[in-house]
Amino acid sequence: MQRKSGPDGALPPGSITFSDMSWNRTGSWRYLKPKFVRKFSPCSESCPAGNDVEGFLFLAGEGRYEEALAKILQESPFPGVCGRVCCHPCESACNRRISDDAVSIQGIERFVSQFEPSRPPQPGEPREEKVAVVGSGPAGLSCAYHLRRLGYSVTVFEKEDVLGGMLCLGIPRYRLPRRVLNRDIDRILALGIGLETGRRVGKDMSWDELLAGRDAVFLAIGAHAHVGLKIEGESCQGIMPGTGFLKKVNLGLPAALGRRVAVIGGGNTAMDCARVALRLGSRPVVVYRRTREEMPAIEAEVQEALEEGIEFEWLTSPVRALVDDGRVAGLQCTRNRLADPDDSGRRRPEPVEASEFVLDADTVITAVGEAVDLAVLPHGLKVEKGVVWIDSWGRTSMERIWAGGDSGPDQRMVVHAIGAGKKAALSIHATLRGNDIEGIAEPLRIGSSGSFSMERYLQGEQGGAVPVREVVRPEQINLDYFEHVPRIVQPRRAPSDRVQGFEEVNGGYDKNDADLEAKRCFHCGTCDLCGNCWRFCPDLCIRSGDVPGMNLLDDFHCKGCGICAEECPRSAIVMEREL
Amino acid sequence: MIEIRFHGRGGQGAVVASKILAEALFREGNFVQSFPAFGAERRGAPVAAFTRANTYPIRIRTHIYAPDHVVVLDASLLDTTDVTAGLKPGGWVVINTDRSPENIPAMRGFKVATVDAGAVALKHGLGVPTAPIVNTAILGAFAKATGKVGLEALRKAILDQVPYNARANAQACVDAYQCTIIIADRI
Amino acid sequence: MKKVLMGDHAVSHAAMLSRVQVISAYPITPQTYVVEELAEACRDGRLKAKFVMVESEHSAMACIIGACAAGSRAFTATSSHGLALMHEMLHWASGARLPVVMANCNRALGPPWNILCDHSDSMSQRDTGWIQFYVESNQEALDTVIQAYRIAEKVLLPVMVNLDGFFLTHTAEVVDVPDQDQVDAYLPPFSLPYKLDVEDPHSFGAICLDDNFMALKHDMQAAMDLARDAALEADEAFAEIFGRKYGLLEPYRMDHADTVLVTNGTITGTAREVVDDLRRRGVSVGLLKVRMLRPFPFAPVRSLLGDRERIAVIDRSVSYGLAGGLACEIRSALYGHDHGRPRVFGYIAGLGGKDVVPSDIEEIVNRTLTYEQPPRDDIWIGAGT
Repeated sequence: MQRKSGPDGALPPGSITFSDMSWNRTGSWRYLKPKFVRKFSPCSESCPAGNDVEGFLFLAGEGRYEEALAKILQESPFPGVCGRVCCHPCESACNRRISDDAVSIQGIERFVSQFEPSRPPQPGEPREEKVAVVGSGPAGLSCAYHLRRLGYSVTVFEKEDVLGGMLCLGIPRYRLPRRVLNRDIDRILALGIGLETGRRVGKDMSWDELLAGRDAVFLAIGAHAHVGLKIEGESCQGIMPGTGFLKKVNLGLPAALGRRVAVIGGGNTAMDCARVALRLGSRPVVVYRRTREEMPAIEAEVQEALEEGIEFEWLTSPVRALVDDGRVAGLQCTRNRLADPDDSGRRRPEPVEASEFVLDADTVITAVGEAVDLAVLPHGLKVEKGVVWIDSWGRTSMERIWAGGDSGPDQRMVVHAIGAGKKAALSIHATLRGNDIEGIAEPLRIGSSGSFSMERYLQGEQGGAVPVREVVRPEQINLDYFEHVPRIVQPRRAPSDRVQGFEEVNGGYDKNDADLEAKRCFHCGTCDLCGNCWRFCPDLCIRSGDVPGMNLLDDFHCKGCGICAEECPRSAIVMEREL
Repeated sequence: MIEIRFHGRGGQGAVVASKILAEALFREGNFVQSFPAFGAERRGAPVAAFTRANTYPIRIRTHIYAPDHVVVLDASLLDTTDVTAGLKPGGWVVINTDRSPENIPAMRGFKVATVDAGAVALKHGLGVPTAPIVNTAILGAFAKATGKVGLEALRKAILDQVPYNARANAQACVDAYQCTIIIADRI
Repeated sequence: MKKVLMGDHAVSHAAMLSRVQVISAYPITPQTYVVEELAEACRDGRLKAKFVMVESEHSAMACIIGACAAGSRAFTATSSHGLALMHEMLHWASGARLPVVMANCNRALGPPWNILCDHSDSMSQRDTGWIQFYVESNQEALDTVIQAYRIAEKVLLPVMVNLDGFFLTHTAEVVDVPDQDQVDAYLPPFSLPYKLDVEDPHSFGAICLDDNFMALKHDMQAAMDLARDAALEADEAFAEIFGRKYGLLEPYRMDHADTVLVTNGTITGTAREVVDDLRRRGVSVGLLKVRMLRPFPFAPVRSLLGDRERIAVIDRSVSYGLAGGLACEIRSALYGHDHGRPRVFGYIAGLGGKDVVPSDIEEIVNRTLTYEQPPRDDIWIGAGT
């Protein structure tokens, strides 16, 4: 037992120590030891593009916007686009929802997208192999971008004269200004990518011609074929497909709209059509067979449409187009009620007897879905349920051909297309290198959703805490250390103002709001040096290390009590059994 | 030894009056004590305060049960409180009232003086008509009636002890001294 | 300079004159004016000290313990339930040998609810390792707080200065307030042998089990013994500068007195009047004021009271199931002195603000002279309804 006597050997007044306890080591009875780890955050796991969301929020919160943008560009070439039109599954997965509201990840991404990246994306060491990408939508360009970074020479074939696919032709400019889209596309093209526009593969040139001299093809032709309503009178004048309508408007061509436009459907295309029609001076009404709750459109889009005064007829289906002199003169509709859920999990609408009525309309825009144009696919390519069949790595039934995006079975959202292109790029790379894709991808995975990190592939594992392949669950967050801070709403222009034209609706954060919002991030599973472990350790065993973002453990005095792990706000410490 | 008891209502300033009187008597070379009736009382309730003075150090630490004189800051207390309880025969009862002398109940065996301290206080801007601040004015009447403390000592004590409107308070004390009515100076 | 001051303000003046550096307190009647004035003084710059607001007396004591451990001269004041709430921290202050000073404005503990004076609050804390004084006047309150720092810092034990609630705290009387220069000459700046200091780190209050615990407690008891001499020295030095002196005990007209009243606090003043009166009437009675209760001045009590016939001790509190605390201490000091002599009579008076008037004290003397032997139980004065 240590004597607590003073320097002169006499007892001090009261119990005062004159030496430390470093001699008193834990010894062998400890059986658990804390380990500083890095886990996956649920936002990153749920991002189909594989963005390191926690990572770029951390950098943004530190005011390191250029680095934050560079971080995003490791995984996705479309920060400007996704900062505006992404359906942000990351926010749906955000653990902050158990405290107040999800972090506005999209708002931060949009804010940092206006900067220049600290390290612009660079093409990889040149490789011999050549790859063709068919389609310049988000899937095609994402694939081209990542293949280029892997060193392949890439040529993109686009049937239109403009690049971007649906980003350019489908999404109205008040959601995605053209300059923003072009900035993202220019950054991709700057890597050195061949372009062949105005040529439609499978029509203007054959697939054999394309495959000749190429080692791989990524087929990303999207889904542009019209899906009809399959009702009587549908072929008359004044009834038009939604994608066709949006394409005309986006290309600056005249769209012959009447005064009363019925938009059929409940997805994003339907919202876009109705809001564009409103801006062109018509009075649109959205006809949807289920209720608002079942609408597949992004909630904010529905909200903004309502704010702008767009009318909705929910629980309503068209049954017949009334035709007068070869032109639509109204829409016979029926009211629905919701029955039990169908295969999609949504409640099935069924008509209410004797509820038919005539909806006033002189124009009908159909937005009930788009199909893949099967006629232009390579002969013999396996098709399933109307789309190109692919395996989990984008491989089609034919050698050298990969596919993804809207022409494949993925969800038809921008971010899913970006993810599909990236996935195909890695898959093509593995095949061309004669490697097993699963073997390459396994250490790159972000949780179990199929997302993976290109940054880790290209740059290897970053130093610091030990990575643990686990996603932080909400109950692993220690909410005691987080104050309630409401989400900052991004400014939007007034509805009366925004319906006057195609100016962007959403204003985005200013620096102050972006900083505050980024700081709302819990940093699930990643140490941000908050110091809680250091503060609580009863044995003063935790020291902040020289490595940024990394703490060190004094192995000899830790007794394995686990308080550090318990009090870590963000589950970045795990207790490991010792032998 | 002289012992004085003050009757007032909570918030009226009886305790301050007892302190100012003690301060004045101290300035005249006396040893003094002043203290409130111990306890806590709400605003408006009858309260009492005490002053002791002697030419020798005061060692006794009890309440005052048999005062030499009594000061009444609020005449309405005459109806509810026995203000002469324990008062030594021949002692003064100094009353703040706007009643005329014939309307003051007879106090057999005691000397009585009145002053309209409320009117004096208001003249000097002390308090409001419903609640004039009378505790400095009535000390002038006490000085006039009993002669136990000098007006100059009182004036200086007020200037020293009253944190706000000290001059107006001192002048009110002097004015009240002038308009004190001696009802009965003989038993 | 002589001023008419309430007891509470005499205490706050003393704290300011002692140049306290940290004050933490929670207000409670009848202590309120003490901290009110100190808070104002800290705000308006009359006192260069940190006033720390806290949510309880327990925290107030914890706060000044920390301040003192860091080397600051620290002060607090409390009363009654507030003191009771501090109980745990009182042990900490003394066990850590921190020379803090506290004024306790003696007040009864409820229920029944009461805000008036008795000594049950401080008497309940006799075993906490604090030096305790009981004062008789506002002048003595002021002087004793200043002396307390000199004693505390000499023996490294905390000091509690007790003054009777209302009888002193709310009573204004003439107090000679010393000059700052004189107090500075009497009270040098505070320094601790070991303090919280990042440049010289130690653990304070570290665990001591069977190794040094008893040794450190024995040191505490030894420091208490030294405190008697330290208090006498402080009193002598005080007298040299300020001309006032109190002693640990004060005998009053005890020459040839067969019967001696023993009192503390403000009852003493009234008892002086009674003793003077009885002496004039030929009764052989004297008075012993007990100013220091901890450490208890055993030897002088024994020598001052040992050869008297009868001792009448007036207690302003009760150790329920036993007797008045002061009476017990006097009996313990006199135990075995001389077979059955002197006879010690215990009286309980003045609980919960009950006024102890001259006739009460005269009754105590009369009863003491009437009984052949002290009754088994203390005699309660004024307990009738």
